[in-house]
Amino acid sequence: MSRLRWGLIKRQMVVQLQVATLNLYSLGLFVIQPAVFIAVGMLLSHAAGNAMPDLVYSVVGGGIMGMWSGLVFSSTYDIAGDRYNGMLELIVGSPTSLATVEAIRTLTNVLSGLFSLSLAFITSLAIFGYSLHGVNFWGAGISLLLLLFAMWCMGVFLANFIAWSRISTWFVDYLEMPIAFLCGFMYPIRVLPGWLQILSGAIPIRWALQAMNESLLGNRDLTFLATHWAIAIGISLIFLAITRWLQVKVHDSIRLSGELSSI
Amino acid sequence: MIQSLVHSLRVYLAEAWLSYHGRFAITSPFGYIASKLGFPFFLMLFFIFMGKFVGYTNPLYIVIGNVLLIPAANGLGGVTLAIRDERQWGTLSYVLGSPAPRMPIFLGRAFYYILDGFVTALLGLAIAAGIFHLDLSQVNFLLLMVCIFLVAVTSSGLGFLFGSISLVSRDGWMITTTFISALYILVGVNFPIESLPVVLQKVAYGLPLTRGILAARLALDGAGWNAISRLVAGEVLVGAIYILAGYLCFRLIEKRSMASGTLDAI
Repeated sequence: MSRLRWGLIKRQMVVQLQVATLNLYSLGLFVIQPAVFIAVGMLLSHAAGNAMPDLVYSVVGGGIMGMWSGLVFSSTYDIAGDRYNGMLELIVGSPTSLATVEAIRTLTNVLSGLFSLSLAFITSLAIFGYSLHGVNFWGAGISLLLLLFAMWCMGVFLANFIAWSRISTWFVDYLEMPIAFLCGFMYPIRVLPGWLQILSGAIPIRWALQAMNESLLGNRDLTFLATHWAIAIGISLIFLAITRWLQVKVHDSIRLSGELSSI
Repeated sequence: MIQSLVHSLRVYLAEAWLSYHGRFAITSPFGYIASKLGFPFFLMLFFIFMGKFVGYTNPLYIVIGNVLLIPAANGLGGVTLAIRDERQWGTLSYVLGSPAPRMPIFLGRAFYYILDGFVTALLGLAIAAGIFHLDLSQVNFLLLMVCIFLVAVTSSGLGFLFGSISLVSRDGWMITTTFISALYILVGVNFPIESLPVVLQKVAYGLPLTRGILAARLALDGAGWNAISRLVAGEVLVGAIYILAGYLCFRLIEKRSMASGTLDAI
């Protein structure tokens, strides 16, 4: 059984990666769009009279932006593409549940986003001479893992809505900028007004990202990091629980109504 | 002669109505408003906080710039989609096979997006003025409206060009969205053109929108016609060049597709 499951995961991931690699749209999501945001950050910094941009937020933050945009749009278009090509019914009707397929696809999309982050990180090292001196490596590493987990939880949560109704694609697409803005992808969360900081607390990505950025800036305060990690895990698990509940509802809804293609 | 003109006008208005209906008639008012103002609003907030973090002291520059980009993104993206969707839904062959004159068809597709972008930008400006307490006491409203309308018209030239590209390339929409992203840097939306490297400044002045946005900013500061006339004239000229280039590109693709019969196969 576990062998069969591993075979499914491997096969799905390979197909997903092939689709992403052969699609020029991925280049836009993972490379060009983050580059544009990094350029805006740097030029704003230049216009503000700074000699050098802040590398963690303005450059590495652009990579985070690429990860998130990649996740939102690739997960959205996966299901929209299945529906458009008449594949969604076959997936729902197959013995492997749609939830499992979506979980694997979302995992691949999240891991693909690492390309964007790596590119931004390499750029900051190679071009801007970002120094790794003082970086809290273990803190940044754990935070990155939790960031990936938080993004995966958000990805599978949002995927449900798109399977349920094609109109939800619009709603999910609109989340790209609000989440980036609330989680402070390219600026520290303290820049936001207090009420927006409270609002952003409901998004697990925010906590993992804040811990990662602070670790990159050299923060070794274990209490601070552990608190952020615990909150990120806790909220991610809540999202996962809601996702499980929604999956059953969505699955029942599309089987009972038989309107998978028409909604 | 008059009969031909009336026929062209009828085709033009029919295309404009179809273009509107095809794009937005199926959406709810919420979906419509969210698609028009939601993304630009959150993008603007994102840039404002980016600016705040790096010490950029003029957030209103970002607010106004992003509001002025609304009609541009509408004209560019909307017109591109209107043309691309003909192929996507398999109706391109019927359009190209019909005896209707091409110019009213082509320009009719843009009419709704120009009008829609213009109205949305005014709405966005009113909302931004309320939220960010913009001082509108000095604004030359007539010239501001002229500038916003001009930006909406000239950006449709880019839409025609990218729409034509999307007829021959399946990645046309990706190329268009990448270009729209580049506008955040190039046309003076978030920071003055002078902050760009010299090469990019030259690119910026070769694009529509740059002069239109500059003129709109001056009108917002209360400038009169004399102060912006050169910018407006430059914007009209550059926009006309792009509209003509887009139209010629479309006709060229149409001609080649008639000869090879491959338009829907790409």
